[in-house]
Amino acid sequence: MESKSMYHEEECGEKCEEVAFLSRKILDLNKQLIESEKAKSRFLSLVASELNNPMTALLGLIPRLAPQNDERLEAIHSLVHEEALILDFRIQNLVAAAEIESGEQNITKALIDPVELVNEAAEALKYPLKAKNIQLVINNTLEKKIVTDPQKLYLILKNILANGCCYGRNDEKLEVGIHENGTTVFMTVKNRGEGPNVEYKPQIFTRFAHGPDGGHGLGIGLSIVRELCERLGGSIDYASGEDTVTFTVTLPLETLLPTSEACGSNEFLFESFDGAIEL
Amino acid sequence: MIQGCSTFIHVGQIHVDRAPGAISTVLGSCVAVCLYDSNLGIGGMNHYLLPFWNGNGLQSPRFGNIAIPKLIETMMAKGSSPKTLQAKIFGGASMNIGGSEAMMIGEKNILVAREILKEYRISIVAEDIGGQNGRKIQFDLDRGKVLLKYAQRSDMMNLGDK
Repeated sequence: MESKSMYHEEECGEKCEEVAFLSRKILDLNKQLIESEKAKSRFLSLVASELNNPMTALLGLIPRLAPQNDERLEAIHSLVHEEALILDFRIQNLVAAAEIESGEQNITKALIDPVELVNEAAEALKYPLKAKNIQLVINNTLEKKIVTDPQKLYLILKNILANGCCYGRNDEKLEVGIHENGTTVFMTVKNRGEGPNVEYKPQIFTRFAHGPDGGHGLGIGLSIVRELCERLGGSIDYASGEDTVTFTVTLPLETLLPTSEACGSNEFLFESFDGAIEL
Repeated sequence: MIQGCSTFIHVGQIHVDRAPGAISTVLGSCVAVCLYDSNLGIGGMNHYLLPFWNGNGLQSPRFGNIAIPKLIETMMAKGSSPKTLQAKIFGGASMNIGGSEAMMIGEKNILVAREILKEYRISIVAEDIGGQNGRKIQFDLDRGKVLLKYAQRSDMMNLGDK
Protein backbone atom coordinates (compact mmCIF):
# COMPACT_ATOMS: atom_id res chain seq x y z
CA MET A 1 0.00 0.00 0.00
CA GLU A 2 2.77 2.34 1.08
CA SER A 3 4.89 1.54 -1.94
CA LYS A 4 1.90 2.22 -4.18
CA SER A 5 1.40 5.66 -2.66
CA MET A 6 5.14 6.37 -2.91
CA TYR A 7 5.04 5.38 -6.57
CA HIS A 8 2.05 7.68 -7.06
CA GLU A 9 3.88 10.57 -5.42
CA GLU A 10 6.95 9.93 -7.55
CA GLU A 11 4.84 9.89 -10.68
CA CYS A 12 3.13 13.17 -9.67
CA GLY A 13 6.52 14.75 -8.97
CA GLU A 14 7.81 13.76 -12.38
CA LYS A 15 4.68 15.10 -14.06
CA CYS A 16 4.98 18.41 -12.19
CA GLU A 17 8.62 18.72 -13.23
CA GLU A 18 7.71 18.06 -16.82
CA VAL A 19 4.93 20.65 -16.73
CA ALA A 20 7.34 23.15 -15.17
CA PHE A 21 9.93 22.46 -17.85
CA LEU A 22 7.43 22.81 -20.67
CA SER A 23 5.91 25.93 -19.14
CA ARG A 24 9.33 27.59 -18.98
CA LYS A 25 9.85 26.75 -22.61
CA ILE A 26 6.45 28.23 -23.56
CA LEU A 27 7.25 31.34 -21.53
CA ASP A 28 10.48 31.76 -23.49
CA LEU A 29 8.82 31.34 -26.86
CA ASN A 30 5.98 33.58 -25.83
CA LYS A 31 8.40 36.38 -25.03
CA GLN A 32 9.41 36.60 -28.68
CA LEU A 33 5.77 36.65 -29.70
CA ILE A 34 4.94 39.45 -27.26
CA GLU A 35 7.91 41.51 -28.47
CA SER A 36 6.79 41.22 -32.07
CA GLU A 37 3.24 42.24 -31.18
CA LYS A 38 4.28 45.09 -28.88
CA ALA A 39 4.55 47.63 -31.67
CA LYS A 40 0.95 46.97 -32.67
CA SER A 41 -0.26 47.39 -29.08
CA ARG A 42 1.66 50.65 -28.60
CA PHE A 43 0.20 51.94 -31.82
CA LEU A 44 -3.30 51.02 -30.69
CA SER A 45 -3.07 52.91 -27.42
CA LEU A 46 -1.43 55.97 -28.99
CA VAL A 47 -3.97 56.26 -31.78
CA ALA A 48 -6.88 55.68 -29.44
CA SER A 49 -6.30 58.60 -27.11
CA GLU A 50 -5.22 61.05 -29.81
CA LEU A 51 -8.25 60.53 -32.01
CA ASN A 52 -11.06 60.09 -29.55
CA ASN A 53 -11.65 63.66 -28.42
CA PRO A 54 -11.74 65.49 -31.78
CA MET A 55 -13.98 62.77 -33.14
CA THR A 56 -16.54 63.26 -30.37
CA ALA A 57 -16.64 66.98 -31.15
CA LEU A 58 -17.08 66.34 -34.86
CA LEU A 59 -19.93 63.91 -34.32
CA GLY A 60 -21.69 66.41 -32.12
CA LEU A 61 -21.38 69.17 -34.72
CA ILE A 62 -22.08 67.40 -38.00
CA PRO A 63 -25.86 66.89 -37.46
CA ARG A 64 -26.20 70.66 -36.86
CA LEU A 65 -24.90 71.34 -40.34
CA ALA A 66 -27.73 69.46 -42.05
CA PRO A 67 -28.74 71.53 -45.09
CA GLN A 68 -32.39 72.17 -45.91
CA ASN A 69 -34.02 71.82 -49.34
CA ASP A 70 -30.85 71.13 -51.27
CA GLU A 71 -30.55 67.56 -52.45
CA ARG A 72 -26.94 67.80 -53.52
CA LEU A 73 -25.82 69.27 -50.20
CA GLU A 74 -27.95 66.77 -48.30
CA ALA A 75 -26.20 63.90 -50.10
CA ILE A 76 -22.79 65.37 -49.27
CA HIS A 77 -23.87 65.88 -45.67
CA SER A 78 -25.02 62.26 -45.40
CA LEU A 79 -21.73 61.07 -46.82
CA VAL A 80 -19.75 63.14 -44.32
CA HIS A 81 -21.93 61.90 -41.47
CA GLU A 82 -21.55 58.29 -42.58
CA GLU A 83 -17.77 58.51 -42.80
CA ALA A 84 -17.61 60.21 -39.40
CA LEU A 85 -19.72 57.42 -37.86
CA ILE A 86 -17.45 54.74 -39.38
CA LEU A 87 -14.38 56.54 -38.08
CA ASP A 88 -15.93 56.95 -34.65
CA PHE A 89 -16.77 53.25 -34.49
CA ARG A 90 -13.19 52.32 -35.31
CA ILE A 91 -11.88 54.72 -32.70
CA GLN A 92 -14.28 53.28 -30.11
CA ASN A 93 -12.84 49.84 -30.85
CA LEU A 94 -9.28 51.11 -30.62
CA VAL A 95 -10.01 52.77 -27.28
CA ALA A 96 -11.63 49.58 -25.98
CA ALA A 97 -8.69 47.44 -27.16
CA ALA A 98 -6.21 49.82 -25.54
CA GLU A 99 -8.18 49.79 -22.28
CA ILE A 100 -8.45 46.00 -22.22
CA GLU A 101 -4.73 45.61 -22.86
CA SER A 102 -3.83 48.14 -20.18
CA GLY A 103 -5.85 46.23 -17.57
CA GLU A 104 -7.51 49.49 -16.53
CA GLN A 105 -11.00 48.63 -17.61
CA ASN A 106 -13.59 49.10 -14.92
CA ILE A 107 -17.13 47.81 -14.91
CA THR A 108 -19.80 50.43 -14.25
CA LYS A 109 -23.14 48.76 -13.94
CA ALA A 110 -26.51 50.33 -14.56
CA LEU A 111 -30.09 49.24 -15.10
CA ILE A 112 -30.63 49.16 -18.86
CA ASP A 113 -33.06 48.10 -21.53
CA PRO A 114 -31.12 46.03 -24.10
CA VAL A 115 -33.62 46.99 -26.83
CA GLU A 116 -32.64 50.64 -26.40
CA LEU A 117 -28.99 49.71 -26.80
CA VAL A 118 -29.75 47.70 -29.95
CA ASN A 119 -31.66 50.66 -31.40
CA GLU A 120 -28.85 53.04 -30.48
CA ALA A 121 -26.29 50.76 -32.16
CA ALA A 122 -28.55 50.40 -35.21
CA GLU A 123 -28.85 54.19 -35.43
CA ALA A 124 -25.05 54.44 -35.56
CA LEU A 125 -25.08 51.82 -38.33
CA LYS A 126 -27.99 53.31 -40.24
CA TYR A 127 -25.97 54.11 -43.37
CA PRO A 128 -24.48 50.63 -43.96
CA LEU A 129 -27.89 49.05 -43.14
CA LYS A 130 -29.59 51.38 -45.60
CA ALA A 131 -26.94 50.84 -48.28
CA LYS A 132 -27.56 47.08 -48.24
CA ASN A 133 -31.28 47.50 -47.64
CA ILE A 134 -31.06 45.29 -44.56
CA GLN A 135 -34.02 45.46 -42.23
CA LEU A 136 -33.39 45.15 -38.50
CA VAL A 137 -35.94 43.00 -36.65
CA ILE A 138 -35.91 42.79 -32.85
CA ASN A 139 -37.55 39.90 -31.05
CA ASN A 140 -37.44 40.66 -27.35
CA THR A 141 -39.00 38.47 -24.65
CA LEU A 142 -37.28 40.12 -21.69
CA GLU A 143 -39.81 41.51 -19.28
CA LYS A 144 -37.45 43.46 -17.07
CA LYS A 145 -34.48 45.71 -17.56
CA ILE A 146 -31.12 44.13 -16.85
CA VAL A 147 -28.09 45.22 -14.86
CA THR A 148 -24.86 45.37 -16.82
CA ASP A 149 -22.26 47.82 -18.09
CA PRO A 150 -24.14 49.76 -20.80
CA GLN A 151 -21.07 51.09 -22.62
CA LYS A 152 -19.54 47.66 -22.93
CA LEU A 153 -22.75 45.97 -23.97
CA TYR A 154 -23.34 48.76 -26.51
CA LEU A 155 -19.94 48.11 -28.10
CA ILE A 156 -20.54 44.35 -28.09
CA LEU A 157 -23.90 44.79 -29.84
CA LYS A 158 -22.59 47.36 -32.27
CA ASN A 159 -19.74 45.08 -33.32
CA ILE A 160 -21.88 42.01 -33.90
CA LEU A 161 -24.56 44.06 -35.66
CA ALA A 162 -21.89 45.63 -37.87
CA ASN A 163 -20.52 42.16 -38.54
CA GLY A 164 -24.01 40.90 -39.44
CA CYS A 165 -24.56 43.87 -41.73
CA CYS A 166 -21.14 43.50 -43.34
CA TYR A 167 -21.45 39.78 -44.10
CA GLY A 168 -25.22 39.68 -44.50
CA ARG A 169 -26.76 39.61 -47.97
CA ASN A 170 -28.51 42.61 -49.46
CA ASP A 171 -32.27 43.04 -49.05
CA GLU A 172 -32.47 40.56 -46.16
CA LYS A 173 -33.31 40.77 -42.49
CA LEU A 174 -30.89 41.11 -39.61
CA GLU A 175 -32.66 39.45 -36.70
CA VAL A 176 -31.87 40.34 -33.11
CA GLY A 177 -33.20 38.06 -30.37
CA ILE A 178 -33.16 38.93 -26.66
CA HIS A 179 -34.22 36.17 -24.28
CA GLU A 180 -33.53 34.86 -20.79
CA ASN A 181 -33.86 31.57 -18.93
CA GLY A 182 -33.92 32.77 -15.34
CA THR A 183 -30.16 32.94 -14.85
CA THR A 184 -28.78 33.95 -18.23
CA VAL A 185 -29.54 36.52 -20.91
CA PHE A 186 -29.08 35.43 -24.51
CA MET A 187 -28.68 38.01 -27.23
CA THR A 188 -28.52 36.69 -30.75
CA VAL A 189 -27.80 38.40 -34.04
CA LYS A 190 -28.70 36.36 -37.10
CA ASN A 191 -27.87 37.39 -40.65
CA ARG A 192 -28.46 35.69 -43.98
CA GLY A 193 -25.25 34.81 -45.72
CA GLU A 194 -22.28 32.49 -45.71
CA GLY A 195 -20.52 31.58 -42.46
CA PRO A 196 -17.01 32.76 -41.62
CA ASN A 197 -14.40 31.08 -43.76
CA VAL A 198 -12.17 29.73 -40.98
CA GLU A 199 -10.79 26.34 -40.04
CA TYR A 200 -11.28 26.75 -36.30
CA LYS A 201 -13.91 28.80 -34.52
CA PRO A 202 -11.54 30.79 -32.26
CA GLN A 203 -9.81 32.17 -35.36
CA ILE A 204 -12.53 34.71 -35.96
CA PHE A 205 -12.03 36.14 -32.46
CA THR A 206 -8.34 36.70 -33.21
CA ARG A 207 -7.24 40.27 -33.67
CA PHE A 208 -6.04 41.42 -37.08
CA ALA A 209 -7.66 38.33 -38.59
CA HIS A 210 -9.03 39.01 -42.04
CA GLY A 211 -12.39 38.19 -43.44
CA PRO A 212 -12.92 35.95 -46.43
CA ASP A 213 -12.65 38.88 -48.82
CA GLY A 214 -9.43 40.26 -47.42
CA GLY A 215 -10.87 42.10 -44.46
CA HIS A 216 -13.17 44.92 -43.45
CA GLY A 217 -12.18 47.43 -40.84
CA LEU A 218 -9.31 46.90 -38.47
CA GLY A 219 -9.91 43.26 -37.68
CA ILE A 220 -10.15 43.80 -33.95
CA GLY A 221 -13.94 44.00 -33.49
CA LEU A 222 -14.67 40.40 -32.59
CA SER A 223 -11.58 40.05 -30.42
CA ILE A 224 -12.86 43.04 -28.45
CA VAL A 225 -16.33 41.51 -28.27
CA ARG A 226 -14.92 38.32 -26.79
CA GLU A 227 -12.88 40.19 -24.18
CA LEU A 228 -15.80 42.45 -23.24
CA CYS A 229 -18.22 39.49 -22.94
CA GLU A 230 -15.79 37.69 -20.65
CA ARG A 231 -15.27 40.88 -18.66
CA LEU A 232 -19.04 41.03 -18.10
CA GLY A 233 -19.01 37.42 -16.92
CA GLY A 234 -20.43 36.05 -20.15
CA SER A 235 -19.29 34.61 -23.44
CA ILE A 236 -19.72 34.81 -27.22
CA ASP A 237 -20.14 32.04 -29.73
CA TYR A 238 -21.48 31.64 -33.24
CA ALA A 239 -23.18 28.97 -35.28
CA SER A 240 -23.39 28.74 -39.06
CA GLY A 241 -26.53 27.30 -40.60
CA GLU A 242 -27.12 26.48 -44.22
CA ASP A 243 -27.78 30.07 -45.13
CA THR A 244 -27.48 31.89 -41.83
CA VAL A 245 -24.90 32.92 -39.28
CA THR A 246 -25.98 33.49 -35.69
CA PHE A 247 -23.81 35.13 -33.08
CA THR A 248 -24.94 34.54 -29.49
CA VAL A 249 -23.86 36.69 -26.58
CA THR A 250 -24.49 35.10 -23.20
CA LEU A 251 -24.52 37.26 -20.08
CA PRO A 252 -25.43 36.51 -16.47
CA LEU A 253 -28.95 37.77 -15.74
CA GLU A 254 -28.97 40.47 -13.07
CA THR A 255 -31.98 42.65 -12.52
CA LEU A 256 -31.10 44.43 -9.28
CA LEU A 257 -28.42 47.02 -8.76
CA PRO A 258 -26.29 46.55 -5.62
CA THR A 259 -27.71 48.69 -2.84
CA SER A 260 -24.33 49.83 -1.55
CA GLU A 261 -21.22 50.56 -3.51
CA ALA A 262 -17.94 51.03 -1.69
CA CYS A 263 -15.58 53.63 -3.11
CA GLY A 264 -16.02 52.88 -6.78
CA SER A 265 -15.90 49.15 -6.20
CA ASN A 266 -18.86 47.20 -7.45
CA GLU A 267 -18.35 44.32 -5.08
CA PHE A 268 -19.73 44.08 -1.60
CA LEU A 269 -18.45 40.64 -0.81
CA PHE A 270 -15.79 41.77 1.60
CA GLU A 271 -17.90 42.01 4.69
CA SER A 272 -14.96 41.58 7.03
CA PHE A 273 -11.38 40.47 7.24
CA ASP A 274 -11.61 39.65 10.96
CA GLY A 275 -9.52 36.61 11.73
CA ALA A 276 -7.66 36.84 8.43
CA ILE A 277 -4.06 35.71 8.04
CA GLU A 278 -1.64 38.62 7.57
CA LEU A 279 1.23 38.16 5.14
CA MET B 1 -8.11 48.33 9.92
CA ILE B 2 -7.93 49.59 6.35
CA GLN B 3 -8.03 53.39 5.99
CA GLY B 4 -9.63 54.80 2.85
CA CYS B 5 -11.12 52.86 -0.04
CA SER B 6 -10.65 49.28 -1.08
CA THR B 7 -10.70 48.79 -4.83
CA PHE B 8 -11.89 45.40 -5.99
CA ILE B 9 -10.20 44.00 -9.08
CA HIS B 10 -11.54 41.32 -11.42
CA VAL B 11 -9.76 38.94 -13.76
CA GLY B 12 -7.70 40.88 -16.29
CA GLN B 13 -7.44 44.05 -14.25
CA ILE B 14 -4.36 45.78 -12.89
CA HIS B 15 -4.59 48.40 -10.20
CA VAL B 16 -1.81 50.54 -8.77
CA ASP B 17 -2.55 52.92 -5.93
CA ARG B 18 -0.92 54.72 -3.07
CA ALA B 19 -1.47 54.63 0.68
CA PRO B 20 -3.91 54.90 2.34
CA GLY B 21 -6.24 52.47 0.66
CA ALA B 22 -6.41 48.87 -0.32
CA ILE B 23 -6.85 46.58 -3.29
CA SER B 24 -8.80 43.36 -2.97
CA THR B 25 -9.78 40.37 -5.04
CA VAL B 26 -10.94 36.74 -4.93
CA LEU B 27 -8.81 33.96 -6.37
CA GLY B 28 -9.27 30.33 -7.34
CA SER B 29 -6.76 28.90 -9.79
CA CYS B 30 -6.07 32.51 -10.79
CA VAL B 31 -3.02 34.18 -9.34
CA ALA B 32 -2.57 37.73 -8.04
CA VAL B 33 0.86 39.28 -7.82
CA CYS B 34 1.11 42.10 -5.29
CA LEU B 35 4.01 44.54 -5.60
CA TYR B 36 4.90 47.04 -2.92
CA ASP B 37 7.34 49.90 -2.84
CA SER B 38 7.76 50.96 0.78
CA ASN B 39 9.90 53.99 -0.16
CA LEU B 40 7.12 55.53 -2.23
CA GLY B 41 4.19 54.00 -0.35
CA ILE B 42 2.68 52.62 -3.53
CA GLY B 43 1.47 49.16 -4.31
CA GLY B 44 -0.16 47.32 -7.17
CA MET B 45 -2.00 44.12 -7.82
CA ASN B 46 -2.94 42.12 -10.89
CA HIS B 47 -5.28 39.14 -11.26
CA TYR B 48 -4.69 36.73 -14.09
CA LEU B 49 -6.56 33.65 -15.23
CA LEU B 50 -4.09 31.80 -17.44
CA PRO B 51 -0.31 31.64 -17.56
CA PHE B 52 0.38 32.41 -21.22
CA TRP B 53 -1.04 34.63 -23.92
CA ASN B 54 -1.47 32.36 -26.93
CA GLY B 55 -0.97 34.96 -29.62
CA ASN B 56 -4.69 35.14 -30.37
CA GLY B 57 -6.99 37.92 -29.33
CA LEU B 58 -5.86 40.97 -27.44
CA GLN B 59 -2.79 41.04 -25.22
CA SER B 60 -5.01 41.24 -22.22
CA PRO B 61 -3.75 41.03 -18.63
CA ARG B 62 -5.87 37.90 -18.23
CA PHE B 63 -2.59 36.18 -19.03
CA GLY B 64 0.29 35.99 -16.55
CA ASN B 65 3.04 36.78 -18.99
CA ILE B 66 1.19 39.95 -19.98
CA ALA B 67 -0.18 40.95 -16.56
CA ILE B 68 3.04 40.67 -14.54
CA PRO B 69 5.36 42.72 -16.80
CA LYS B 70 2.54 45.26 -17.19
CA LEU B 71 2.16 45.58 -13.41
CA ILE B 72 5.92 46.01 -13.02
CA GLU B 73 6.00 48.61 -15.83
CA THR B 74 3.11 50.53 -14.23
CA MET B 75 4.93 50.58 -10.89
CA MET B 76 8.13 51.72 -12.60
CA ALA B 77 6.26 54.48 -14.42
CA LYS B 78 5.24 55.76 -10.99
CA GLY B 79 8.86 55.93 -9.86
CA SER B 80 9.59 52.46 -8.50
CA SER B 81 12.54 50.37 -9.55
CA PRO B 82 12.80 46.58 -9.36
CA LYS B 83 15.37 47.07 -6.57
CA THR B 84 12.84 48.77 -4.31
CA LEU B 85 9.98 46.41 -5.11
CA GLN B 86 8.88 43.44 -3.08
CA ALA B 87 6.43 40.85 -4.33
CA LYS B 88 3.82 38.64 -2.74
CA ILE B 89 1.96 35.99 -4.69
CA PHE B 90 -1.39 34.39 -3.96
CA GLY B 91 -3.79 31.90 -5.53
CA GLY B 92 -3.08 29.10 -7.97
CA ALA B 93 -5.38 26.59 -6.26
CA SER B 94 -6.50 23.35 -7.88
CA MET B 95 -10.19 24.07 -8.03
CA ASN B 96 -11.17 21.03 -10.07
CA ILE B 97 -13.65 23.06 -12.07
CA GLY B 98 -13.82 22.63 -15.83
CA GLY B 99 -10.69 20.52 -16.06
CA SER B 100 -8.41 23.18 -14.58
CA GLU B 101 -6.84 20.50 -12.38
CA ALA B 102 -5.94 18.26 -15.30
CA MET B 103 -4.41 21.24 -17.09
CA MET B 104 -2.56 22.22 -13.91
CA ILE B 105 -3.59 25.83 -14.51
CA GLY B 106 -2.92 26.86 -10.92
CA GLU B 107 0.57 25.35 -10.97
CA LYS B 108 1.44 27.02 -14.24
CA ASN B 109 0.07 30.35 -13.03
CA ILE B 110 2.34 30.15 -9.99
CA LEU B 111 5.32 29.12 -12.07
CA VAL B 112 4.95 32.00 -14.49
CA ALA B 113 4.85 34.47 -11.57
CA ARG B 114 8.04 33.04 -10.08
CA GLU B 115 9.88 33.00 -13.39
CA ILE B 116 8.99 36.56 -14.40
CA LEU B 117 9.70 38.01 -10.96
CA LYS B 118 13.04 36.21 -10.94
CA GLU B 119 13.84 37.69 -14.31
CA TYR B 120 13.14 41.22 -13.03
CA ARG B 121 15.07 40.36 -9.82
CA ILE B 122 12.13 41.17 -7.62
CA SER B 123 12.16 39.12 -4.44
CA ILE B 124 9.07 37.25 -3.31
CA VAL B 125 8.74 38.03 0.39
CA ALA B 126 5.49 36.18 1.07
CA GLU B 127 3.19 33.75 -0.67
CA ASP B 128 0.13 31.64 -0.07
CA ILE B 129 -0.32 29.46 -3.11
CA GLY B 130 -1.63 26.13 -4.33
CA GLY B 131 -3.90 23.94 -2.25
CA GLN B 132 -7.54 23.41 -3.02
CA ASN B 133 -9.17 26.49 -1.50
CA GLY B 134 -10.04 29.78 -3.05
CA ARG B 135 -8.73 32.90 -1.38
CA LYS B 136 -9.97 36.39 -0.64
CA ILE B 137 -7.16 38.86 -0.28
CA GLN B 138 -6.93 42.51 0.65
CA PHE B 139 -3.70 44.42 0.06
CA ASP B 140 -3.27 47.19 2.63
CA LEU B 141 -1.19 49.85 0.89
CA ASP B 142 -0.48 51.68 4.14
CA ARG B 143 1.58 48.85 5.56
CA GLY B 144 2.26 46.73 2.50
CA LYS B 145 0.55 43.80 4.21
CA VAL B 146 -1.91 41.38 2.66
CA LEU B 147 -4.87 40.05 4.63
CA LEU B 148 -5.96 36.62 3.47
CA LYS B 149 -9.03 34.51 4.10
CA TYR B 150 -9.89 31.21 2.47
CA ALA B 151 -13.03 31.60 0.37
CA GLN B 152 -16.10 29.43 0.12
CA ARG B 153 -16.87 27.91 -3.26
CA SER B 154 -20.08 29.99 -3.50
CA ASP B 155 -17.98 33.16 -3.32
CA MET B 156 -15.83 31.90 -6.15
CA MET B 157 -18.86 31.13 -8.32
CA ASN B 158 -20.29 34.58 -7.66
CA LEU B 159 -17.17 36.18 -9.00
CA GLY B 160 -16.69 33.91 -11.94
CA ASP B 161 -13.27 32.79 -10.82
CA LYS B 162 -12.19 29.30 -11.77
